[in-house]
Amino acid sequence: MTDALVLLVVVPIAASLFPVALGGRFERIGWFVAAAMGLVHLGLSATVAARVLEGGSISYAVGGFEPPFGIELVADGVSAPLLVLVSLSTLGVLAYARRAGPHSNAFYSELALLTAGISGVFATADVFNLYVFLEITGLATYALVASGRSPRAALASLKYLFVGTIGASLYLLGVGYLYIMTGTLNMADLTGAVASVGYTSPAILTSFGLIVTGLLVKVAVFPLHTWQPGAYAESPDTVSAYISALVSTAAAYALVRIIYAVYTTEFLDAVPLAGDALVALASVSIVVGAVLAVMQSDLKRMLAYSSVSQFGLVVAAIGLANETALVGAVVHLVGHAVMKGGLFLTVGVFATGLGVRTVEDFAGLAAKAPVSSAAFAVLAFSMVGIPPAVGFVGKWNIVVGAVEAGAWPVAAVVVVSTLLTLAYFGRVIERMYFTAPEPEADAVSTDGGNDTVEVSFGMRAVVVVSAVAAVVLGVLGSDLIAVVQPVLEVYF
Amino acid sequence: MTDVLSLRPLAAVLAAAVGIVTIVASRRSPNVREGFTVLSAVSALGIVASMVPGVLNGTTYVTDLGTFVPGVRFVLRADPLGMIFALLASLLWLITSFYSIGYMRGLDEHAQTRYFAAFAGSVSAALGVAFASNLIVLYVFYELLTVATYPLVTHDETDEARKAGRKYLAYTFGGGVAALAGTALVFWTTGTVEFSAGGIAALANADPVVARAAFALLVTGFGVKAALMPVHSWLPDAMVAPTPVSGLLHAVAVVKSGVFGIARVILDVYGPDAVGSLGVGLPLAAVAAFTIVVASIIALRQDNLKRRLAYSTVSQLSYIVLGLALLSPAALVGGLLHIPAHAFMKLTLFFCAGVIHVETHTDDISDMAGIGRRMPLTMIAFTVASLGMAGLPLVAGFVSKWYLLIGSIEAGQTVFVFVLLASGLLNIGYFWPVIYQAFFQTPEDSDAKPLIEFPIGGVRAVTDGGSKDPVAEGEQYAVDRYPSDHVAVADGESDHSAAATGDESDHDHHHGGAPAGGWERRRLGTESTWFMMAPITIAAAGAIVLGVVPQTAVFLALVQRVVADVTGVVF
Repeated sequence: MTDALVLLVVVPIAASLFPVALGGRFERIGWFVAAAMGLVHLGLSATVAARVLEGGSISYAVGGFEPPFGIELVADGVSAPLLVLVSLSTLGVLAYARRAGPHSNAFYSELALLTAGISGVFATADVFNLYVFLEITGLATYALVASGRSPRAALASLKYLFVGTIGASLYLLGVGYLYIMTGTLNMADLTGAVASVGYTSPAILTSFGLIVTGLLVKVAVFPLHTWQPGAYAESPDTVSAYISALVSTAAAYALVRIIYAVYTTEFLDAVPLAGDALVALASVSIVVGAVLAVMQSDLKRMLAYSSVSQFGLVVAAIGLANETALVGAVVHLVGHAVMKGGLFLTVGVFATGLGVRTVEDFAGLAAKAPVSSAAFAVLAFSMVGIPPAVGFVGKWNIVVGAVEAGAWPVAAVVVVSTLLTLAYFGRVIERMYFTAPEPEADAVSTDGGNDTVEVSFGMRAVVVVSAVAAVVLGVLGSDLIAVVQPVLEVYF
Repeated sequence: MTDVLSLRPLAAVLAAAVGIVTIVASRRSPNVREGFTVLSAVSALGIVASMVPGVLNGTTYVTDLGTFVPGVRFVLRADPLGMIFALLASLLWLITSFYSIGYMRGLDEHAQTRYFAAFAGSVSAALGVAFASNLIVLYVFYELLTVATYPLVTHDETDEARKAGRKYLAYTFGGGVAALAGTALVFWTTGTVEFSAGGIAALANADPVVARAAFALLVTGFGVKAALMPVHSWLPDAMVAPTPVSGLLHAVAVVKSGVFGIARVILDVYGPDAVGSLGVGLPLAAVAAFTIVVASIIALRQDNLKRRLAYSTVSQLSYIVLGLALLSPAALVGGLLHIPAHAFMKLTLFFCAGVIHVETHTDDISDMAGIGRRMPLTMIAFTVASLGMAGLPLVAGFVSKWYLLIGSIEAGQTVFVFVLLASGLLNIGYFWPVIYQAFFQTPEDSDAKPLIEFPIGGVRAVTDGGSKDPVAEGEQYAVDRYPSDHVAVADGESDHSAAATGDESDHDHHHGGAPAGGWERRRLGTESTWFMMAPITIAAAGAIVLGVVPQTAVFLALVQRVVADVTGVVF
């Protein structure tokens, strides 16, 4: 049964071959292959999750080579929910893409590849293997961003390619240092090995700096976020939603694993600068991301900067190095994925159905698309942190964690981030609900007219489901915490 | 004190919440929709009222919904303090529902479904605030209340309304943030945020600096909605909302959720003893006293009736805060009793302002000379309620103020006695001109109102030949003309919202004030629809009942029970 773990990666990789291979014969087969893959993936992740809930963590030795020499895959209380999240996000995005596209077979191959990469990141327990999966994730994402087919999308993709590759290289370099010093790549094995080398050894410190910087590039924390707004804003709505929900999440998850499983809290105690620097950087990111978000007129760009701010929260919680905050970080990772993915899809619904993409255009939208508007409002208020939605649960734990750690400035920033988030979502909601639409400026479009498509039931349904999920997850927040906490408390 | 597991607290919250769904579902048929509003109001009131006898006998009804975040359970508890607020909110919601129907139809307002749905949502959240059993649950409903009220503030969809809405969100979420920070501090120090009569024991022994900081954060946070100065200014601006909203939410449910939060913090989180020993009661009392006096003085100079009432609300809310901050048992009784007392009186006043607006489109006090002929019953109710506001006997305001006076002497803080008495005089100062000119003047023959029409300090003597008109347009202070609702549209000041254009013919003939030839004389009861007159009469009658037989009206009994539980002093 532990085979399910490796199949989570193998099935999407195998599935990624079919759309391209069969594309010559069947024009629209991509979606069906991806949908089948998504369902199988959900079955597998549910199996894994069920096993984890029953008996704690499960592990799988790839190719029969036992760890620490072989590659080990592990699922525990933290990674299992995230794997389920991957399956559900994939299915949600596919339901949306059925009508909204992109329809090319190449797109579905790339999507399957991305699913494989992200699943791998969540499942692996090996630092080099993590690099491989991060690169798979990265490469698939570069291609997906470029599938927007506009010159701007190509540019955004290229930028992401450069910055992402630098990040991955830094990470790899750090892993190299670790391997030289310890001779192992298995995370569990590294825990003791790093300790025996000595936390303050220059090589270990260097490896920490390189690895964490590399991952922070992928997480897109200010000032390493420059690739992210372009990548989110220029790619097709389907892609924006998928990568905003999962790609940075995967990197942030890797950060949690590396810092707490490999370096451990003893390292953070021995090198206080490490945690302090993370927290400081993250706090700046929270504020700057929100300020930049307020300044955007394009909705997708605004949501992108919002992610910079929200991941600031997560990284701050990781840097605080206490259990409550770390639980908050994981909950917020899950919550953010649901909320931000849902928001991008909602914006996609508006763009597809009504052709509106800027905050200006949003005037009076609630009257034209009441259901999607309500979903947007629920998701936005959830992101602001209005209880009982999931945004609050994560934030509350992070605030309490900051207070417990005595990190008053961080606590203040996190608490005030509520208002910053409100600043950028409030103006959108106000326009949607309480501003009369501008009188239609008749047909002066320069791009060949209106390319709106009728919004399908599937698209609307996904949007509504994500809004409902954001609230339900909040109400069930304590159950999620109950699953996550046992794993994280081992680190302290 | 026995706890009984019961679904009734939850049912009360849900009765209102389900109203949102049914109201939206029946949006195509206004009569059915309004039927659902009344139905959910009746059922919410019925459920709350069914718990009153039990609560008076010492039973507490508890709904336990499991763990919400680690260490905090999502529990709703109907204890005496919560019952005061819940009973008040649900009772007045029912009355306001009828009034809303008359008001919204009388003005043929747009987006009525959104209005009634948001109203039900607001009351549901207010009931949640009342029944919250710990700071986190309180915070949950407190924030939901903000969200649910926002569409009502921006209802007009004019620039002014949107601005008021932005200000409202910024202020109240800012307050929410402070409350959340305070909650986190309390949780960190004591490991619990559970309310318990007389305070959380661990908090009394906590680090005083942290305890004081948490108190300051919590009180500031809740103080925003309680409109304590200097964080009050959202409230006068929010008067741009339709009048029933100003009446029920911005004089009762929303603002009192802030006051109620402060009451929970003082009585059930810290306990009067800890507040006293931390020395944080007196500063709060000072802020409240400052607010009482200054808001009354500002009220004197408001020409827009709703804004004058808003400043009066700011002032009166601080009576409650003052009573709570003085900590002596009688002051606590006075403060808590002022929650229902002020609610009945201020609701009456707002209802009167609203019916005047619907019938005559008059919003400014200076246009109201002689209006007693046109709207006799309305102005009688207005008179009764304003006398109560000033604290004259036989109306609700007297009883609570009496306890407050006793309480301040008991607490040894006689200075607050003078504050309360001065405030009574100021109340008469700002209500009397309205009443006097309504009954004893006519539009042709009305005196100038020095406080409103002249600059502060009188008109400067002009020595250069007197070319200047003493009250030249430009020299006038900025009149707070906040024409509510559709007068703005009629004035052509703002953009027409799509749905609002239907009732143009309704009010294009004049912009408020008496029609040519003065007010027509109407007999009692013929001045407007009974949808509006009945609620006014009932609210005014409620204020009198509370003033004449406070012992038989439920609220004083509940208040005395709360104070007995907290301080052990039995009245």
